[in-house]
Amino acid sequence: MRKLLTLTDVSVRYGFYEALTDISMNVESGELVVLLGANGAGKSTIFRTISGLNKPLKGRIEWQGKSIGGSSASKLVADGIGHCPEGRKLFPNMNVYENLRMGAYAVRRNKKALSETLEQVYTLFPILEEKKGTAAGSLSGGQQQMLAIGRAMMSRPQLLLFDEPSIGLAPLIVEQVFDVIKEINRNGTTVLLAEQNANAALKIADRGYVIEDGKIVVEGEREELFANDEVRKAYIGA
Amino acid sequence: MDVLAQQLFNGLTIGSVYSLVALGLTLVYGILHIPNFAHGALYMVGGYVTLMTMTTLGLPYFVAMFMSILVVGGIAVLMERLVFHQLRHSPPIHDKIAAIGLLLFLETLVQLIWGADYRSMTTPFDDIVSFLGITVTTQRILIVVAAVLVMIALHLFLKKTMIGAAIIAMSQNREGAFLQGINANRVAMLTFFISGGLAAIAASISSPINLVYPGMGHLVILKAFVIIIIGGMGSVPGAIIGGYILGFSESLGATFISSDYSDIIAFVLLVAILTVKPQGLFAKGAH
Repeated sequence: MRKLLTLTDVSVRYGFYEALTDISMNVESGELVVLLGANGAGKSTIFRTISGLNKPLKGRIEWQGKSIGGSSASKLVADGIGHCPEGRKLFPNMNVYENLRMGAYAVRRNKKALSETLEQVYTLFPILEEKKGTAAGSLSGGQQQMLAIGRAMMSRPQLLLFDEPSIGLAPLIVEQVFDVIKEINRNGTTVLLAEQNANAALKIADRGYVIEDGKIVVEGEREELFANDEVRKAYIGA
Repeated sequence: MDVLAQQLFNGLTIGSVYSLVALGLTLVYGILHIPNFAHGALYMVGGYVTLMTMTTLGLPYFVAMFMSILVVGGIAVLMERLVFHQLRHSPPIHDKIAAIGLLLFLETLVQLIWGADYRSMTTPFDDIVSFLGITVTTQRILIVVAAVLVMIALHLFLKKTMIGAAIIAMSQNREGAFLQGINANRVAMLTFFISGGLAAIAASISSPINLVYPGMGHLVILKAFVIIIIGGMGSVPGAIIGGYILGFSESLGATFISSDYSDIIAFVLLVAILTVKPQGLFAKGAH
């Protein structure tokens, strides 16, 4: 398989605090890779660094063989990296349709692609079509998460980063969200998923990394992680 | 009854100008969280550019207004690039100090070039018309019509075009906007250009019924701040409605209380509204 994204010894600092230390990981085309870790372990920082919101202090980030460390977020979206961020970061006073349309900002010149992707999003989440005139800020938590996922799909990314999409959602909705992420992956989008909910995340993943205190401590195939005692104790609770 | 109708129309005229100025201020605030104190100076430069283009170059009123939009919009973009952009990682107080510096710089510059005299602007719209029991100059009708057209155009731009929506998106969630591919620099420059353009239009249409002088922006900008505080910082409908509320209050207050107090009404209104709604009228979830 083809290497889509490679991080080599990436470190990130917030002021004097080192949030990430020598992170090395890779994602191959077509995979669904999960990033497990507790609150504050550094999952979001990895994502923010990949998508250009944070700059790496050192190390190398390669996207399709080209170095991208330090590129701006707006450029990376156009290059095919989509990011469904922690906290969703929707536009609360815009309605559902307007939020989705903003998701296609990077590909706005391609009108046909826009309507096609919009159709896909509505098929995955019929509720979004029903509520297309509703302000994003007045949707329920689950609906907001669906909108955030849908908005991230609108730029037709090759790689989609999902940062804790299950946070704060009812178990039934969590299941639905994970099904959709699996579906998006099956339709050809490579997925990198950050989760605390290890059990649900590993079920749909091919491989995974476990991060603690800004360092990668375990990595492996899905079965290996399921079988790993430490992972079971810390994240699966069985 | 006639007095009331006349004053309501006056309120509509003043309110239109206030709304245009406040819109520019609120757009910039919504995006960059900069209270641009220099906005009043942009308004003043707008008045001068229109006047000087008409008197020294002999160009028609509307051409002069167009020139003014380009020049003031350009100055606003330069302000963003040379000053506010450079200060983006500094504490917010630096922006405010810089804005006051820009205000003083532009005012002194205009005074140096054109002097401190009060000048009047004459336009082809000095006919007097009567309808519905009120008598007005066509310039006042032009103010209302032009302001409403500009506001409709701005609304359509912000609502219907992707570039316009990017401005709103950035004011609602900055990082969320970056992740959709919105380029912060380009949106910031565009917002400053629109803000400057709105100030230029407001000054160009209101100067014929007022006067052009280096301090003409002072009271207007103070009132525009009152308007966007009342309307909710960064809110577009808040700026429009706030502008008209102030316009009507002033014209009615001048008639039924005393014209000596018309400038104080803005600030009384500010205190009254903030006592009842400390977030402003339209602040609901703006940030």
